[in-house]
Amino acid sequence: MATYATTAVVTPRPRYRVLEDERWLAMALLLPTIVLLAMFIAYPFVKGILLSVTNTRVGVPGEFVGLANFYKIWNDSIFRSAVYNTFVYTGVTTVFKLGLGLWLALLLNRNFRGKTFTRAFILLPFIIPTVLSTFAWKWMFDPTFSVLNWMFWKLGLISSRINWLGDPDLAMLSVIIVNIWRGVPFFAISLLAGLQTINPDLHEAAAIDGAPPLKRFIYITWPLLLPVTMVVVLFSVIQTFADFQLVYVLTEGGPANSTHLFATYAYNLGIRTGLLSEGAAISLAMFPVLFLVVIFQLLYIRRVETR
Amino acid sequence: MARTSRRDLFKLTGAGVAAASLGGIAGILASGRTPAYAQVTTVHLLRWNDFIPTSDQLLRSTILPEAEKALGLKVNFETVNGNDLQPRITAAIQSGAGPDLIMLFNNNPHLYAASVVDLSDVAEEVGRVGGGFYPISKSNCHDGKAWISMPMSIIGAMIAYRKSWFAEIGVNSFPDTWDGYRDAGKKLKAKGRPIGQAFGHSFGDPPTFAYPFMWSFGGKEVDQAGKVVINSKETVESIRYMIGFFKDAHDEGGLAWDDSSNNRAFLAQTICASLNGASIYIASTRNPEQYKTEKGGLLKDDILHAPLPKGPAGQFGFHTFQSHVLPKYSRNQAAAKNFLKWLHTPANYDKWFVSQQGFSTGPTQDTEKSKMWDTNPVMAPYRVAGKLGQTPGYVGPPNAKAAEVLSKYIITDMYAKAIQGMSPENAAKWAEDELKKIYV
Amino acid sequence: MIEGALWRKWVYFYVPLILFLIFLLFPFYWMMITTFRPDGELYRPWNAWNYTPFWTWNPTWAHIEYLFRETIFGTWLWNTMFIATISTMISLVCGVFAGYALSRLKFPFAGGLGTGIFVTYLVPQTLLFIPLADIIRDYRLGDTPWALILTYPTFLIPFCTWLMMGYFKAIPKELEECARIDGASRWKAMIYIILPVAVPGILSAGIFAFTLSWNVFIYALVFLSSPQEKTVPVGVVSELIRGDVFFWGPLMAGALLGSIPVAVVYSFFVEHYVSGLTGSVKG
Repeated sequence: MATYATTAVVTPRPRYRVLEDERWLAMALLLPTIVLLAMFIAYPFVKGILLSVTNTRVGVPGEFVGLANFYKIWNDSIFRSAVYNTFVYTGVTTVFKLGLGLWLALLLNRNFRGKTFTRAFILLPFIIPTVLSTFAWKWMFDPTFSVLNWMFWKLGLISSRINWLGDPDLAMLSVIIVNIWRGVPFFAISLLAGLQTINPDLHEAAAIDGAPPLKRFIYITWPLLLPVTMVVVLFSVIQTFADFQLVYVLTEGGPANSTHLFATYAYNLGIRTGLLSEGAAISLAMFPVLFLVVIFQLLYIRRVETR
Repeated sequence: MARTSRRDLFKLTGAGVAAASLGGIAGILASGRTPAYAQVTTVHLLRWNDFIPTSDQLLRSTILPEAEKALGLKVNFETVNGNDLQPRITAAIQSGAGPDLIMLFNNNPHLYAASVVDLSDVAEEVGRVGGGFYPISKSNCHDGKAWISMPMSIIGAMIAYRKSWFAEIGVNSFPDTWDGYRDAGKKLKAKGRPIGQAFGHSFGDPPTFAYPFMWSFGGKEVDQAGKVVINSKETVESIRYMIGFFKDAHDEGGLAWDDSSNNRAFLAQTICASLNGASIYIASTRNPEQYKTEKGGLLKDDILHAPLPKGPAGQFGFHTFQSHVLPKYSRNQAAAKNFLKWLHTPANYDKWFVSQQGFSTGPTQDTEKSKMWDTNPVMAPYRVAGKLGQTPGYVGPPNAKAAEVLSKYIITDMYAKAIQGMSPENAAKWAEDELKKIYV
Repeated sequence: MIEGALWRKWVYFYVPLILFLIFLLFPFYWMMITTFRPDGELYRPWNAWNYTPFWTWNPTWAHIEYLFRETIFGTWLWNTMFIATISTMISLVCGVFAGYALSRLKFPFAGGLGTGIFVTYLVPQTLLFIPLADIIRDYRLGDTPWALILTYPTFLIPFCTWLMMGYFKAIPKELEECARIDGASRWKAMIYIILPVAVPGILSAGIFAFTLSWNVFIYALVFLSSPQEKTVPVGVVSELIRGDVFFWGPLMAGALLGSIPVAVVYSFFVEHYVSGLTGSVKG
C-alpha cells in the first residue's frame, strides 16, 4: 500500500498551494462534514424548535402558541411515565450491559480453541438489524406460542405461562432483556479492544509478585480500561436514551402506554396521530436531559483521562 | 425530469414484474406494451394487508389488470400492515409525496380533511346506483360539506365462538347479556378455554370491543353538544364490570394482543370465543383439513358467530369502516378518481366483494341483497353489519376530535389500565383528562 | 492463562462462555428454525403435547418462496445494500478527513469544531425525524434513496471522526515530517503516508458505519413510501406483518435473509474490527 511519493514535488501545483497552509487544508477537510451536519442536523434542530412552539398538525399549518405544547406534555401522565421509563430503561440496561460485557470481554481475551469463530458469532446480536432480531424476540414472547414459556415449564420453573408482553412490569422487563441482549456484544468487543492494549508484562509481573487474579483486575486492568469504558458507556447511553425500534416492534408502547419511551411516544403523537408540533415538543424535551447526562459523563471522562 | 424518470422506471418495472408473475400471458403482453405508452399515468394505491388474502390476490391478478386495460393507466398496488396506514399518510402529506389513494379506517379521514381532495362527484354517483349509503358511510367520510373519502366497505365485528364447547357447559344458544356471556366464559376458563380479547394498540378488535362495551353500559365520551361526559357513573360501572369479567373469563395474554393474535389463538384452539371480523372462520375454511377439533371433526363446522351481548343501556356494535382518500399532493388526481369510479362500478366491485366472502359488506344498502349472503349461513350475522353499529364519538359526531381519541386508543386504554390494576374511578378520570385535552 | 484444576477452568471459563453463547445466539436459532418450520407445526400452543421447539421433521421452503413470490424482497435487499454502501462511503470520507484535520493540524477553533461535531452525535435521530420530513420535502428528496443516503451520514460521521481521531493521534508525527522534508505536499503526505497506515482504523470505522446504516429504521420508515424504495427492515415490518394471520414464517425468513449480508461482512472483518478499535483506543 505504501506508495511513497519519493519523487520530490518541489513546487506543488498552484491548485495545491493553498492547501499547504495548515488552516486552509483543515477547513477544506472539514467542509463536507460541516455542510452535511449543518444541513441535516443543525437546520432541522432549529426547525424542530420552531415547530414545537406552534400548533401544527398534519396538513394544517399552525400558529404560534408559545410554550403551550410543553405545558401540555408536562401535565400529560403518559409523557411522565415515558420519562420515567426512559430513565429506568437506560439505567438498568447500561449497568447490565457493562457488567456482562466486561465479563464476556475477559472471557474472550483468553486463548482458547475457536476464539476467532466465537468472537465473530458473539457479535451477531449487535450487527443484525434491531428490527429484525427484535421480531424473533417478539415471537419468542408470544403469549400463545412462547418457546421461553415452554422451556421454563419443562425445566419445572413455572406451572402457568409468563405473560411476557401483556403485563406492564413484565413488558418493561422484556424490553430491557432484549436491549441488554443487543448491547452486550458491543460492550464486550469494545472492552476487548481495550483489554488488548494492556501490556501482558504488567500482569505477569504482578502474578510473579503473588497478586491473586481479582487483585490484578482491580489494580491493573480496571484503571487502564476505565477511559475506554467511559466512552463506550457514553455512546451506549445516548443510543439507549433515544431508542425507538425495540419498543416500536415489541410493544408499540403498550400495554396501555406502560412501556413508552421518549421516542416512541413522540412517534405515536407526531406521526401516528398527526399532532406534529406536540410530537416535536416531546422529542425536544429529551434533549436537555440527554445533554446534562452527557456533559456529566464528558467531565468525568476528562477527569479520568487527565489523572 | 431526470430525477423522476429513474423512479418511474422503477415503478414500471416493478409493476411489470408483478403483472408478469401473476397475470401470465396477459401480464406479459401488458408490460410488453408499456414502452409505447411511456407517459402512462401511474396510480399508486395503498391498502392494508387484507385479512382475507385471496382478495389481495384477486386485486393483483385480475381486477387491477382489468382496470389498467380499461382506463389506460398503471396501478401500483401496495399493501401494508393496517396499523401503519396512519403513519404512512402523515409521512406522505408531510413529505409531499406518496400514494395517490390511501385506505383509512373508521373516521380517520376527518383527521386529514385539510389535505385531501373532494370526492363528492365519485361518491354521490356510487351512492345513487347502490340504493343509498348507510348512515355510517356518510358520517365517517363526509365532513358536512363534501365527501372527503370514498367509502369502500364495512368489516362486521361479531363474536366467533366454539359451538361444541359452549354446548358442553350447557349453553346452546349464544348468551345475549353480558352476565350470561361472563358466566359461560367463567365456566370455560375453568376448563382451560378462556375467552380471548385483544387489548393492545391495534386498529381493529380492541376498539371494536371497548367502544360498544362502554356504550352498552350507558358510557359516552361526549354528549351531543360535544361536552366531555366520560367520567360518569355508567362508565365507572362498565369499567368495574370489565375488571371482573376479564379476570373471570378472559385469557390474560390479551393485553399484548393485536388484531391477528386472537385469530392464531382461536385456530390453535386455546380460546373459546373472540370478537373478530369473520377472518377466523374464513381462515379455517381455506384449508379445513389442517384444523381438527379434539373430537376429530373439522374446526370450521364448530364455529358460529353472534353479536356482542346486551348491557343495561342496550346492545351496540362498532364495525370497522374502510375508505380511500385522495391526498392533495397527488399529481394524478384525475386518473385516481377515474380508477375509483371504475372500481365502484357494480360489475367490478362485486368481484372484490364476493371474494371477501362476507368478511366485509359494502358501503351502500344494496349489498345486503347480494346472493353471496345466501351461500353460507354461518356468515349470515354479518349481512346487516352496515345497518347496525355506531361510529366513534357516539353520541357526538365522528369528527376529527373523535378520530384523535380513537387514534390515541384512549377508550381501549381506559379499560386496559383498569384491568392492570388501576381503580375504575381513576381510569375514568384519566380518560376524562385525556379527552379534555382533545375536546377543547 | 488459567491456573489450577480442570474443574476451575470449567466453572470460571467454559460454563459462563457457553451460557453467554446460548443467550446471545438462541434468538437466531429460533429465527432459523421458524423459517423452515411448516405452519402446521408453527402454530401449536406452548403447552401442547406435541410442541417440538428445537427441531422439525418436516422442513419446508414455503416461507422463503412466499417471501420472494409475494414481496419484492430482492429489491429491498438491493436498496439497503446500495444505501448502506454509499452512505458509508460518504461518512468514511468525511470522517477520515475531519479526523485527520482535528487530530493532526493546527488551526483556529479546532477544539470548538471538534466539540461541535461530537455534540451532533448527541442529537438522536428520533429527535429530528419530524422537522426533517419537512426539509426532505423542501429539497424534493421524499421517497428517493437520497433522502437516506444524505441523512444517514449525519450520525455516522461523528462516530467515524471520533474513531479516526484516536487512530491518527497514535501515528507518530515524524512519519509525515519525513515525507514533507522529501518534498511531498501536505495533501500527498496525508493521502500516501498517513492513510495507508490508518487502514485498520478506516476499516473498522467503515464496518461500524455499514452496520449502523443497515440498521437504521425510523428515517427509512418516515421518508420512504413506495414499495420499490423500501429497505429491508421497513419492508419486512410494513409488508410482512400481514392481515393473514400466519405471517411468522415469512417474517422470520425475511429477518434471516436480511441479516445474512451484514453477518457475512462481519465474519470477514471481525479481527480487523477489534484491532482497528484497539488502535484507536490506544491513542
